[in-house]
Amino acid sequence: MRQAYRRWAGVYDEVFGAVSRAGRLRAVAAVNAMPGTRVLEVGVGTGLALPHYAPEKRVVGIDLSREMLSRARARVAERRLGNVAGLVEGDAECMGFADGSFDIAVAMFTATVVPDARRLYREMRRVVRPGGELLFVNHFAAEGGLRWWAERTLAPLSRVLGWHPDFTLGDLLENPAAATEITPCPPFGLFTLVRVPNRPAGG
Amino acid sequence: MEQTKSGHPAPPPGGEVDPALLEILVCPLTKGPLRYDRARGELVSERAGLAYPIRDGIPIMLPDEARKLD
Repeated sequence: MRQAYRRWAGVYDEVFGAVSRAGRLRAVAAVNAMPGTRVLEVGVGTGLALPHYAPEKRVVGIDLSREMLSRARARVAERRLGNVAGLVEGDAECMGFADGSFDIAVAMFTATVVPDARRLYREMRRVVRPGGELLFVNHFAAEGGLRWWAERTLAPLSRVLGWHPDFTLGDLLENPAAATEITPCPPFGLFTLVRVPNRPAGG
Repeated sequence: MEQTKSGHPAPPPGGEVDPALLEILVCPLTKGPLRYDRARGELVSERAGLAYPIRDGIPIMLPDEARKLD
């Protein structure tokens, strides 16, 4: 995965940025509307979402790609994003944050690129305080219709960006019913916003 | 503390890290505490016997990238 991103870091913003824009803006809007100020962005990448957080949100970003993080760092400096508390190079499935460090964790387009999405989910639950919120924006497999057509059309792009075309909500959440909100995002509802409250046990 | 000509403390070798971030960082292996070695620009996990480097203000919380303590 690190290799793939290294190769694609140059065109990543142009190609991926355009396709993922609506989903990203919707997720950040959802974060901004939530109570709590301590936000973790898992898979922060080149920091495309960072300028959109509300000033009162204190955002930490983690990513495995050094190349992406250096671009994120440049973006933070350039845009003077004083609410970005820091960037961390690390493994989303095994993070170096203390339990309950955040009120909200958001993972955009990340669940399909980690080796084990359920481990990612468990680790996000650990670093978010009980009663906090987990948010995911991802591509989840479509069963038919316009979305199916769009997926087929964009399949070559999906492979380039490391998506799994047949990734389902059950691959991420042990109990998909734990999601309280599932919202399709444009284009074509290709991406879905999933909100999961961090309940103290189960889920 | 080492001073620069302007009178500000010299920046640590790995770059500045926000104190609020330092506060929540733990060893990814043990989830135990880290000691910030400002002079070396490292985060030391005594329990894991590892020192995690900081580069350009970005802590690298990967055991594979960490320096093994003697």
